[in-house]
Amino acid sequence: MSKVVPKVFRINTGSCNGCDVEFVAAAFVDKFHIATSDVEFVDDVKDANLLVITGPLTARSESFLKNALTKLKKPFTVVGVGTCSVSCGIFRDSYAINGPLDKFVDVDVNVAGCPPRPESIAEGIAKGIKVLEQKLSGEVTPKTIDTIFSDFSAPASFRGRMDLNPDMCTGCRTCETVCPSTAIKIEENEEGFIHNIWHNSCCYCGNCAYFCPTGAIFSTNSFDTVKLQNEKFSDVNVANIPFEECSCCGEKYMPPSRGLLGKSYVHDDVNKLNTNICSKCRKEANFKRMYA
Amino acid sequence: MTQKITIGPFSPELEESVYFKLEADEERTITHVEIINGFIHRGMESLVTKKNFMQNLILTERVCSLCSNNHPFTYALAVEKIAGIKVPMRAEALRVIADEVKRVASDLFNLSMLTHLAHNHELMRDTMNTREHMQDLKEIIWGNRMDMSANLLSGTKYDLDERKIKLILETLDIVEPKLRDLQERYETDEQLRKKTVGVGVLPKEDALEIGVTGPVARGSGINNDVRVKAPYSLYAYRPKLRPKVTLREEGDVHARAMARFGDILEAVRIIRDVVADMPEGDTYVEKRPHIPAGEAVVRTEAPRGELIYYLKTDGSQKPVRMRWKVPTFTNWEALKVMILGDKVDNVTMILNSIDPCISCTER
Repeated sequence: MSKVVPKVFRINTGSCNGCDVEFVAAAFVDKFHIATSDVEFVDDVKDANLLVITGPLTARSESFLKNALTKLKKPFTVVGVGTCSVSCGIFRDSYAINGPLDKFVDVDVNVAGCPPRPESIAEGIAKGIKVLEQKLSGEVTPKTIDTIFSDFSAPASFRGRMDLNPDMCTGCRTCETVCPSTAIKIEENEEGFIHNIWHNSCCYCGNCAYFCPTGAIFSTNSFDTVKLQNEKFSDVNVANIPFEECSCCGEKYMPPSRGLLGKSYVHDDVNKLNTNICSKCRKEANFKRMYA
Repeated sequence: MTQKITIGPFSPELEESVYFKLEADEERTITHVEIINGFIHRGMESLVTKKNFMQNLILTERVCSLCSNNHPFTYALAVEKIAGIKVPMRAEALRVIADEVKRVASDLFNLSMLTHLAHNHELMRDTMNTREHMQDLKEIIWGNRMDMSANLLSGTKYDLDERKIKLILETLDIVEPKLRDLQERYETDEQLRKKTVGVGVLPKEDALEIGVTGPVARGSGINNDVRVKAPYSLYAYRPKLRPKVTLREEGDVHARAMARFGDILEAVRIIRDVVADMPEGDTYVEKRPHIPAGEAVVRTEAPRGELIYYLKTDGSQKPVRMRWKVPTFTNWEALKVMILGDKVDNVTMILNSIDPCISCTER
């Protein structure tokens, strides 16, 4: 089999230009590997076999994108760069957005991030090339592709994928309120709260971590956001925050988290404070202690 | 015989989608320009009214990722004006540092695109590599290479300790000599001069009439830098901080690039000045302040020129109306003067020379 020469063409469908700038950085700065590998950047969309598409697909761009796609020769691979191309991210629910991209194109690789690091974009393109090779040789694309560039690292302070420490969370919904891209959803069932973080909607702004009163939600420095299309909807961080049973009345209630108690009772050992008692029973007990 | 030429909307030479319909004569001199836009319209003005004040801190950042610190900065100034919040001095200093770091990175990116379009790849690579130092700095201190998320209503989210200040100074020590070297090369490089001198001329009279701002105005000999004319934040308290802008009379692509270099070097000087004399104290007043009903107009100097925010609130959690006047909006009109009578091959370079932020303009 002859070697595939990936011919890359970038289409901006309404991005805030962050991803486009980072794409240029990835393409021209040596340390991100694309500049030194056999990737060709073509001037015309009809010569391309690897499309890099950024942006949430605005209503105005839709027909132009469709037109551009008809010029392409099959097989080609599509790499969606940026959270908004994957899920519209922060621009979701706007009247001017027709996206996300996979409504109109068969996307192969998604690179979430707002904007993704050039390292992630390079990784996304490398994975796109793998998919392209498989398409050309008629193989079936595997469910996952291992990380290709293993020598990339991020500083500890990098705002990457969010994580939750359920021990510290009380389900106060601050994160849900301040999240600009509605990537966080807290559901309730009989057992407790379920805290969901959708990594493909997250815009990695760190607002939730900043406003969280207990530090339960925090950003890790993981930038592992390059996923194949079949992983798009499963890239979720789910945490359970269980209710406790009241030792007096037996009713289920949401106990204050260690973090919250630590803020209120600065001088006490928090672990001894929580006596499994719901707020209603606690009020009653306190009332009796003071007035009975 | 006139020939019709179209450029865009998707072209590797265009950072953002825009569509040119040109008419040119036999010598490929442009006789008619029509610019079609709207590709990046995401309905921002409607979106901001659907989101609360905390969410808008981030949404305004996504108006444009190249001036992504200026937008929340100006938005925060507008909110603070309505709420009557006095921001601590340390926060003002931190905001200015974030702003100037962003300015250096943004202008350097524009310059590297200029050399890219002028097919001077060696110079482009060096500019990009110099910019990488600022990008790394942003990633270490603010946590993201583009969207720094530095601002908070009534202050800043981040603080600088000794170690971080040392890192900033070390980075500037590496970057500054490189910048001076680049400035020299941009000024003298024969190939670049041939491509840019006398191209896309905007005479001073036209510049005044259209009301261009930022480096475009400075390239035509007009100084209307908001940091000098109507100082805000720390620039208001410390007159010495205000930039000594570089003015060029030529009004061509090259002059605008050199005006940007002046901006970059002044930004480096400003960061050094602020860091050398950091005010002590808190970095914010309140994490989630109450915003009463009111109206405010605020303007600041973005890397591309004057940025104006209009904000109207009604005491609820969400703004009633938010409106922008972005620098590219006025600079855009100047394009027609610049492009008309120039060569077709220069169009993308002239477009790049106003540092167009189409995502700001079309929102």
